Amino acid sequence: MTTDMTSDQIAEQIADPELVDPMLHDDEDFRAPVGPTPKRTPRKRMSKFELYGRRFMRNKPAVGGAVIFVLIVLFAICGGWFAQYDYQELDFLAISDPPSAAHWFGTNDAGNDNYAQVVHGLQRSLLIALVVSIGTTVISAVIGASAAYFGGLYERIALLVIHFLMVVPTFLLLAMVSSDAGGDWIVIAIVLIAVNWFFPARTIWTLSLSLRERDYIAAARYIGISGPKIVLRHMLPNIGSLLIIQFTLGVVGAVQMETGLSFLGFGVKAPDVSLGSLIGTGASSITSSPWLFFFPAAALTLLTVSMALIADGLRDALDPTSAAGGRA
Amino acid sequence: MRRAIGWVMMIFVATNLAYFLSWAYLDPKSNYVGRRPPLSNDQIEAMLEPRNLSDSVPLIERWWTWLTDILLHWNWGVSPVGDPVNDQIAYRMWVSAELVLGATIITTLLGIALGVYTASRQYKLADRIATGTSIITLNIPIVVAALGIVLLAIQFNDAVGTRVFYVTGSSSPGVTGFFPTLVDVAQHLILPTFALVLVGYAGIHFLQRSLLLDNINADYVRTARAKGLTKSQAIRRHALRTSLIPVTTQVAFSIPAIFTGAILTETIFGWNGMGRYFSETISTNDIHGAVAIAAFGALMTAIGAMLADVAVVILDPRVRVS
Repeated sequence: MTTDMTSDQIAEQIADPELVDPMLHDDEDFRAPVGPTPKRTPRKRMSKFELYGRRFMRNKPAVGGAVIFVLIVLFAICGGWFAQYDYQELDFLAISDPPSAAHWFGTNDAGNDNYAQVVHGLQRSLLIALVVSIGTTVISAVIGASAAYFGGLYERIALLVIHFLMVVPTFLLLAMVSSDAGGDWIVIAIVLIAVNWFFPARTIWTLSLSLRERDYIAAARYIGISGPKIVLRHMLPNIGSLLIIQFTLGVVGAVQMETGLSFLGFGVKAPDVSLGSLIGTGASSITSSPWLFFFPAAALTLLTVSMALIADGLRDALDPTSAAGGRA
Repeated sequence: MRRAIGWVMMIFVATNLAYFLSWAYLDPKSNYVGRRPPLSNDQIEAMLEPRNLSDSVPLIERWWTWLTDILLHWNWGVSPVGDPVNDQIAYRMWVSAELVLGATIITTLLGIALGVYTASRQYKLADRIATGTSIITLNIPIVVAALGIVLLAIQFNDAVGTRVFYVTGSSSPGVTGFFPTLVDVAQHLILPTFALVLVGYAGIHFLQRSLLLDNINADYVRTARAKGLTKSQAIRRHALRTSLIPVTTQVAFSIPAIFTGAILTETIFGWNGMGRYFSETISTNDIHGAVAIAAFGALMTAIGAMLADVAVVILDPRVRVS
């Protein structure tokens, strides 16, 4: 491994940032794994993360989104400490009660404490969303970039599978499989990854096609670095900013899909709860006990909107040349 | 022509795959578990066998009967209770179309209009407000948006004292005459359409805005200005036309997604469309219905892709020439 490291470093020296197309602007990412950047000028340089941090802070809505997101995560983790009831516990003396001192968010028609349920549902939804988004980003990045790099039969098969999955009504499969799984959240997460990876994979493939032609990739190849290693160490870091943004947007998408499934009754099932299934129960009694809808809906909306604002800020911070103002 | 054949092949394979997957995950027999009085195995068989839903027949044989019925008689099979799938789809397709078509048109037009408006006022107050609103509406989950609209509509109805908006169903029974029907349809249609537009328009808005911003300073737009066009004329006739191409592709490709988005909307507003049929077929183990929806979804994707091709040809003279 160590001998390879040196050849990598040589490859990175050859791919001098000054020679790279300024539009690509992620030479910083490219150099990231090497360790401390060699000092080339005596004047003090701003570190990469300092720069990103400053650019991110400039975007006020993104900062607001980050604050809300941190609060939501804290609420999901620590909210359980203050709960007076377990989320499965039934309080037969308080059935369909509005919010009160004993039950902060009210109770449902079976006597479940809504506060405990919202905390638990939020944890469940967040966990699924994070697992799905990480899985989707990793799989789509590896498949998309390697298809572009290796080309040939492998690329054609990968593209055929991607195009075929676009035709297959994935939501139907998703609903059938997760309904059959009986509400196990791990199965739901795996199935969500399986139906989500191919669209970003195609985007990454398109971007990687031009990346493949760059000099530093050719240089790495001539040095004798193996194909998989070029993909992982030289191609993927160069689309790192895109991957980070895709990850944050992926969280939004996954939360929406999971809650949609659970709302229809195909996702997380009782006794486990997620925000979607809570909204589903709230929907049936929306006029008589609206608090069952309000609290999970507010948690869900805050989660998705804050995540989207963060994605927007990250785009500005990591990718200042991008003109895109939203999901495109 | 070759494209069309390719799409037909894709739809064929996807539908057959859906058939086998449905059999792997749905079990019509389980509908009869727990019946009072309990049914014997033979009784269940006797009900399911003539409907080609019995798992005692080998899967290949079931598949062949199903496939030949479709190819020769255009008969998509029956549900476990004997309801023909053809009738269901034929009725529900139009219910969904009523909702989805209108919503798509409004979403697209509103998105493009806002995109043009905000791009030509980049970083001014109007742009900031519109983009800020859009980023929030884009990320409101459709469930929350639809239920929120239901709540507001109920309060509005209570406040006014009459039923202005209906929150369930696609039409009221017993309404006759042209104008009463029109009013009735509008009363049912407004809320779900509003919900779909609310969560959908922002995607188009952002796409149109960023594409137009890429083009607005291009040389040919400056030339158009130099020839004496006003700024808005130059944007509308020259910059907008180029940037519309990716937007139409996006809209065409989002047609299947709109149908899936309508699953939740239809469930919440109680419309008996394709989306609701989808969740009903899965919860009642209606294999033939689920497969028909899969085929319908694949067909929508194909139509969307072909519409995208047509739109590009219309909008892009370079494609037409070559």
